[in-house]
Amino acid sequence: MATTEPFSAELEMFEQHRKEWSRSHSGKYVAIQGEVIEGFFGSYAEALRAGLQKFGVGRQFLVKQVWMTEPVYFVS
Amino acid sequence: MATVELHWDPFDQDDPGPCIDVVVMNSRDVMEAGRSIGLDYPKPLRMRALLDTGASITVISKKFANYCKLFQTNEGSEVTAIGATHRCAEHAGSISFPGTGLRGFDPIRIISAVFVKERYYAILIGRDILRNWVISFDGRSRRVTITD
Repeated sequence: MATTEPFSAELEMFEQHRKEWSRSHSGKYVAIQGEVIEGFFGSYAEALRAGLQKFGVGRQFLVKQVWMTEPVYFVS
Repeated sequence: MATVELHWDPFDQDDPGPCIDVVVMNSRDVMEAGRSIGLDYPKPLRMRALLDTGASITVISKKFANYCKLFQTNEGSEVTAIGATHRCAEHAGSISFPGTGLRGFDPIRIISAVFVKERYYAILIGRDILRNWVISFDGRSRRVTITD
């Protein structure tokens, strides 16, 4: 049985729009579930709350900051 | 504004670094939404956290993230530790500092990863939180002072 990676649909949607969004919403946070885009927000907290209102917690939704290049976090 | 003092002896090899007690849970908004549809959440768990100026973001042990049932909001964030890059999950959590007057953070994005030094601490408090505090270290008294 095939298994689906978590957020695979949402991350695919993000990748499809990354270039466009990097120009129009750079640094903003987007909330996505499946193919539904809730919107772009100035902070992680705002995007989370908007996602909770729209999608609830019954199924996960993606909250991701819009950058052309993915950030790498360092832990030393 | 609150001030907290912690002991840290950098000359003691068994001292992992300045640690503070924290309670990590799901964000209040997530729990309200979850309870409204009948979901249950574990009791808050007090754990040790290392103040880590070398961490660009706050990271929780994957074991504790799973125990707390932290709501996941992303997959595949890249975290580099000692030269190796790991792909990690992101969660919407809350962090409070019981027994201190320090202001908590809710919601806050927390990354989960497998910890090697789990016996000392379950969380790394990264610069996303540290940037909100004034921190000083007195080497003579081995005291770290945090003011928010």
